[in-house]
Amino acid sequence: MPLLPVKPRKSASIWSAASLMVSLFVVALTSGCGDKFSDLEVLPTESYMKKPGDFLGNTYTIRAQIDSQVKWEKGVGRILAVLPESGGARLPVFVPDAVGGNLHIGQRYKMRARIEAGGLIYVESLRKY
Amino acid sequence: MLKVCASISLGLVLGQITSHAQGYAPAAAPARPAPASAGMSAPVGGMFESNTFLEMANRAFDPSSDSMDFENGSFAWKGRTFNLTSQRAFRARFERFLLASPTEEEESYALLMNDVLQRLSVANDRSDDAIIETWEMLFRAARFDTDGGNSTIVANQVFNAWRIRKEMRGEAMTQRELADVRRYQQEVVANRALMLEKIQEQREKDSVRATSGNSGKGKKTDPGALASEGAFRALELAETEAKLIAMEGQAALTGIQAKLQMQSQIVAFLVQRRYQHALVLSGFYQLLFKGSQQQLEVGKGELKSFFPNTDMVFTVDMMAFVANEAITDVNKGVDAVNTAYAEDRAIIALERLQETFFLGEYMPELNAIPVDQRRKLLDLYRDMMEAVELAEAKDYNGVAQYAERIALIAKDFPKMRVLSSVETAKSMSDMAVFAASQYRNLGDIDKARAELQQAIDIWPSNPSIREFQQETTKLATAGSQGVQIFDDLYKRGDHRGIYDRRMDLGFALAEDTARRPLLMEVIEQVSTIDLLVAQSAEALKQGDPYVAWELLAEAAKFDADDAPMNRARAELAPRVADFVVYLDRAQRQAEEAQHAGSLAAFLAAQDIYPASRMCREGIERESSALMAHLSQQTEAGEE
Repeated sequence: MPLLPVKPRKSASIWSAASLMVSLFVVALTSGCGDKFSDLEVLPTESYMKKPGDFLGNTYTIRAQIDSQVKWEKGVGRILAVLPESGGARLPVFVPDAVGGNLHIGQRYKMRARIEAGGLIYVESLRKY
Repeated sequence: MLKVCASISLGLVLGQITSHAQGYAPAAAPARPAPASAGMSAPVGGMFESNTFLEMANRAFDPSSDSMDFENGSFAWKGRTFNLTSQRAFRARFERFLLASPTEEEESYALLMNDVLQRLSVANDRSDDAIIETWEMLFRAARFDTDGGNSTIVANQVFNAWRIRKEMRGEAMTQRELADVRRYQQEVVANRALMLEKIQEQREKDSVRATSGNSGKGKKTDPGALASEGAFRALELAETEAKLIAMEGQAALTGIQAKLQMQSQIVAFLVQRRYQHALVLSGFYQLLFKGSQQQLEVGKGELKSFFPNTDMVFTVDMMAFVANEAITDVNKGVDAVNTAYAEDRAIIALERLQETFFLGEYMPELNAIPVDQRRKLLDLYRDMMEAVELAEAKDYNGVAQYAERIALIAKDFPKMRVLSSVETAKSMSDMAVFAASQYRNLGDIDKARAELQQAIDIWPSNPSIREFQQETTKLATAGSQGVQIFDDLYKRGDHRGIYDRRMDLGFALAEDTARRPLLMEVIEQVSTIDLLVAQSAEALKQGDPYVAWELLAEAAKFDADDAPMNRARAELAPRVADFVVYLDRAQRQAEEAQHAGSLAAFLAAQDIYPASRMCREGIERESSALMAHLSQQTEAGEE
């Protein structure tokens, strides 16, 4: 079967480059680049377990799966046991009523959390991923 | 103080009871309460088990046959009753037989006696010469030791009868002569009377003639002199008559005496189980006395006791029949013994041998039992007698040992039944000692004493009784110091020390209302710790170290300083180190009110051992505390 010579099409390549640029821009916008989680460190769970008091006042990001709900109180919030993506033991986190919506066991969330008095992991915001 | 006195009293009583039971102290005839009822099922004074064991032991170990009754000293054989004498005397003779060996002399004696009996048989030669020859053989038989001189007695009896018969022949001649004299004297006396009558008639005629004128003529006879001679002759006749009657009476008496002597001896031989001699003497009797003289006139009392249930007329033939029957039975008994022994039924062989031995103790047929067999039966007999004595002394360990020994000799011995009874009796005694300890510890001295008496009655040499005695003595001593010891230990928090002395202290503080509840609390606490430590060890054996740790942690709540519990924890800790680290961290942070940190540690620990009760409770507790704290913060923020 004879091979036909391919003719370069200049106008098509220009359109392709333009659409790629637009796509990259849209992805950059939707991927959170530059949002409230992106600039935070991941909570070092091992160190936290050994001495929670050393992390008081810090804010971290946690990527974890909900393992169980330990306690809930209307108007206050819920204490969840979550399994960090980075591994290690389960962690207790507090999700205030104002922050959490319908949270189900097994769901994965990226959380922005601050370490409060007593080593409490206080979730300020979260987003399913 | 009252308690101390009571305990000392119990100790003294115990010592006294023990010494009585072991025969160290003189028995003071204790007043035993009478049984409430005569029912067989009511055990009185703890003797039920003891009696049951003794009955069993008597059945199992008593080698005597059912036909032998040593209590009444009798031996029943086919409706006849022999006098058995005492068991000790019988035992001595029986053991002597088992130790003896048959000799050639005994065989010769057996042959000779059989020969004598054969010669006396009706079918044989019954001439005077043959009888005398047989009679002479008795003197040969008497020379054997086995005979015991009985053949001489037979020979003497026969000789005596012959002598009496000879004397009677001589007296018969004298009697005949006297009868002749009497006849002559009767004639003389009769003639004199006739003459006197004639003289009287003549005198009357002369008197008539004289009155008619011719008196005083002719010869005259003196009638007075004639009357005197007649009286003299009559006296002589009377004397002769008397002599004759006396002689006839003497002859009859002598004959009866000879017959009675022989009859008595036949009965005596039979009762003494000398059957062969009874047969020999019966044979001679039948030769010496005619058929009408066969009924027995003597020994009726002995025969009545020998044949207790019969009204028959005893004869010499009957005695011979019984003797023959006994000889036959001895032969059958010997066969039975040998057969049973050959079939490994030594117990049956021994029982039958005793019967056979007693029936035919003087019979040569017993020699058919081999010497080796006799020795083994002797060993068995002695072991069984020893076991009976041990059973009566309630030495259960000794009984068990002898049961093992006997079972080796006799395959048909019920060893398991004996050992089972021994164990039952021991258990009953141990239980009574245990009950006595319980009552003593509760301060109920009377019941403790009763239980102890029961334990001693069942098994006097029970080692637990001595332990009880030592314990009681120790308690009595410790009683006075108990209060001070308890106070010191309790003050130091040495609960384990209190628990270890709980017996002493329980006795000492029995009536101390202030300290006794504290003591009970400590005992319960340490008992719980021991229980949890034991459960922990069991869990560890089953390969579950986290459960074991949780049990020890639970035990630590009662007394964190308990040494055995801490030792167990120290041994287990390396195996559950990761779990323990998180738990310790959780507890430490909980104590510092760091609820979130504590909760995190509990969750981490639960990840290691999901079924952990401590973690579950810790999570619940800490999460509640944390939520409460947050709730307060929320409320404060809203305000």
